[in-house]
Amino acid sequence: MDRKRIQWNTRTKILVYMVLALIYLAGILVWGLLMDPEAYAVDYSVKFLPPGAGHLFGTDFMGRDMLLRCVKGLSTSIVIGVIASVVSSFIALAAGVAAAVVGGKLDSFVNWCVDLCMGMPHLVLLLLISFMLGRGMKGVMVGVALTHWPELTRIVRAEVLQIRSEQYVQAAYRLGKSRMQVAREHILPHVLPVYLIGVILLFPHAIMHEASITFLGFGLSAEEPAIGVILSESMKHIATGKWWLALFPGIMLLAAIMLFDRIGEDLKRLWNPDSGNE
Amino acid sequence: MRKKTWASLVASVMAISLSAGCGKKDVQDIGQGAAPTKEEDSIVCYVGHGFWDGSLDPVKGAYAYGYAFTNNALLSVTPDSSYKGDLAEGWEVSPDALTYTFHLKDGIKFQDGSDLSAEDVVFTYETVMENQGDNEDVDLTKLESVEAPKEDTVVFTLKEPYSPFLDAAAQLGIVPSDGYDSAAFDEKPIGTGPWKVVQYNAEQQLIVEANEEYFDGAPKIKRVTFVDMDNEAAFSNAQSGQLDIVMVQPNYVSEEIEGMHIEELETMDVRNISLPCQPRQVMKDRDGKEVEVGNDVTSDVNVRKALSIGIDRERIIENAFNGVGRPAYGFTRNLEWGNAPEAVDGQAEEARGLLEKAGWVDHDGDGIRERDGVKCGFEVYTPSDEQDRYNLAVAVAEEAKELGISIVVKQTSWDEIYDTSNTGGVVWGFGQFNPIVIDQLFNSGGILRGDFDNKPAYENEKVDALIGDAIDAAEHSEAVAKWKEAQAVYAEEYPYLFIVNIEHCYFVSDRLDISVDTQIPHPHGHGIPIICNMKDWSLR
Repeated sequence: MDRKRIQWNTRTKILVYMVLALIYLAGILVWGLLMDPEAYAVDYSVKFLPPGAGHLFGTDFMGRDMLLRCVKGLSTSIVIGVIASVVSSFIALAAGVAAAVVGGKLDSFVNWCVDLCMGMPHLVLLLLISFMLGRGMKGVMVGVALTHWPELTRIVRAEVLQIRSEQYVQAAYRLGKSRMQVAREHILPHVLPVYLIGVILLFPHAIMHEASITFLGFGLSAEEPAIGVILSESMKHIATGKWWLALFPGIMLLAAIMLFDRIGEDLKRLWNPDSGNE
Repeated sequence: MRKKTWASLVASVMAISLSAGCGKKDVQDIGQGAAPTKEEDSIVCYVGHGFWDGSLDPVKGAYAYGYAFTNNALLSVTPDSSYKGDLAEGWEVSPDALTYTFHLKDGIKFQDGSDLSAEDVVFTYETVMENQGDNEDVDLTKLESVEAPKEDTVVFTLKEPYSPFLDAAAQLGIVPSDGYDSAAFDEKPIGTGPWKVVQYNAEQQLIVEANEEYFDGAPKIKRVTFVDMDNEAAFSNAQSGQLDIVMVQPNYVSEEIEGMHIEELETMDVRNISLPCQPRQVMKDRDGKEVEVGNDVTSDVNVRKALSIGIDRERIIENAFNGVGRPAYGFTRNLEWGNAPEAVDGQAEEARGLLEKAGWVDHDGDGIRERDGVKCGFEVYTPSDEQDRYNLAVAVAEEAKELGISIVVKQTSWDEIYDTSNTGGVVWGFGQFNPIVIDQLFNSGGILRGDFDNKPAYENEKVDALIGDAIDAAEHSEAVAKWKEAQAVYAEEYPYLFIVNIEHCYFVSDRLDISVDTQIPHPHGHGIPIICNMKDWSLR
């Protein structure tokens, strides 16, 4: 009996994974958002404490608690990631569907925009936008939002093109439905799973890029607790053996990204007709 | 999608390890290309990034620090920071303060074998005057003409009295009139100095060799290699025994490196925070553009004074700089003209009383005072490329909190700092032999003039007049007296919150003697000035 209970099917396992991952990420998000800045305030009496009971992740050169700073930083990253992904994905959905349904000049224009954005190294474009907008929260958010739509646009467009040539869609046209009606009733519902998975897989990108440009000094400014800031500060102290300043924030960032990635991959398996019944 | 994510992960990890990697490469290059590290009479040093600012040509402002390196100036600065003859034997100033006459020493040769004559001095000064735009370190705009009436005599005529001219004479290295080549001198300047450039690779390394013919005695060390790398990479390289000198930030001084000891060297470099002295208002700048100026909190002299007397500078230095540095209340007394007031800090009670009396009271119990609905708080900006200044500002903010004043510290780029400095505080660093800095920082004529000038928009007619007198003075001693008086007057009104006189920290190899006694107080040079007496260094 006991054995049987442990033998969950893949679907259940995936669901459990997903719920755990979501709890972890949502926990960090809420904890960070509700945190009082006083919690990670400067306290010179506890400079450079290694990880221990009082400070699980140790403290930095100003005696700030690294665990709390990490959580706060990561929650900022998640907020930026979520907002940027949502905006990006809206652009992608609108552009992708419009390009495929309307076709013609609009299609060429959207393709041209996609090529334009993808022709430039991702990070460079992101830096340019963020720097132009004066860096900070606004710069990073707009930068990340405006650079993550092209790939998803391509996927959505390809999917729509494929569906559009299906017989039932053609039939709908013949029955006198307008382009908008067809798009809404017959095309969107079929594109949705691909789109949603795309959105979730955008999160890790967005978070990673936020951390990267902040690390390079073009994102959030140094007084804000952000993972990128924490990691770049830790570089200054690694030579003198303050390993905990880099290790734990790094692990937390990686964990968040890999969990998001995992959720995306799992959803893909659940929604994909070929693997949904495993 | 999954692959992409991993790719971006890997890319970021690479970016993170990049900064550490660069430094190592540099040292390997040196190992292969030039002097091996531990040779009998050669050393390898890291003294910061300043060597790589651009040209090595004195005509374009290289080494305008008041000491000889590749070239000598007419004068040089002494360990007690007055001027003495370097290429010049002596000098006179006319009673109307318009004519400066310098007599050159005999028998000095350039490194290319040619003799130094008054012609070379005239050539150097005229070249700088013609190309003043290329040289922002030596200001010759007050110079009318320079002539060589005799082989060993140079006469300078000024447009108007300008006592800081002596400083230009100590900063501008003389180049040979025949051998001067603007392009070649960027990498291989020829001078009369103790060091000859062997090789210069911008942002990688600079190798110099001793000038055996140097008129003041050949250097004992024969070859010095300066390398460029990150501070952190330099520290690691020192740990593995590859460097003889490594400059470090104050938070490294508690570390230990085998075979090296720490030297904390005196500087004249002070860190202060500008506090806008005018209430918030719109002013027109020189181009007629409207600019926001002033701050409603710091414009109250009581707030500025409370900060200056209420904070504990020793504790700030302990917290931010690991205890390295000295409390500063004005320009340091190791400068001939420096006149910092007596120590006045740590008087938190008096400071609180001052604030209460001025109407700053904490009504809502959040620990921050307010007056007429205005919170007693302001922002202080620090450049993002200097972590030290950020640490300092945060430590000051912690002290200010005790007084009920809220200081929010921001880190940003210099471009933004130039804009925000009109309305908020900025952590500045000043350290130079030239007293003209007082004119730049405290003369009301400097308001909305340049990126550094009089940022608090401080106005005091008496200070303006004293600065004018000091500049016009013919006698050096009179100029010094006026400069001191001007400092005493503005010190009453605290337009800048002086905090710390920093010390430059270096790990020095135990086999190397850097002759601490002949070091001059270091000017603002981010670590380079340790080379001021490199000629006197020796290996044990």
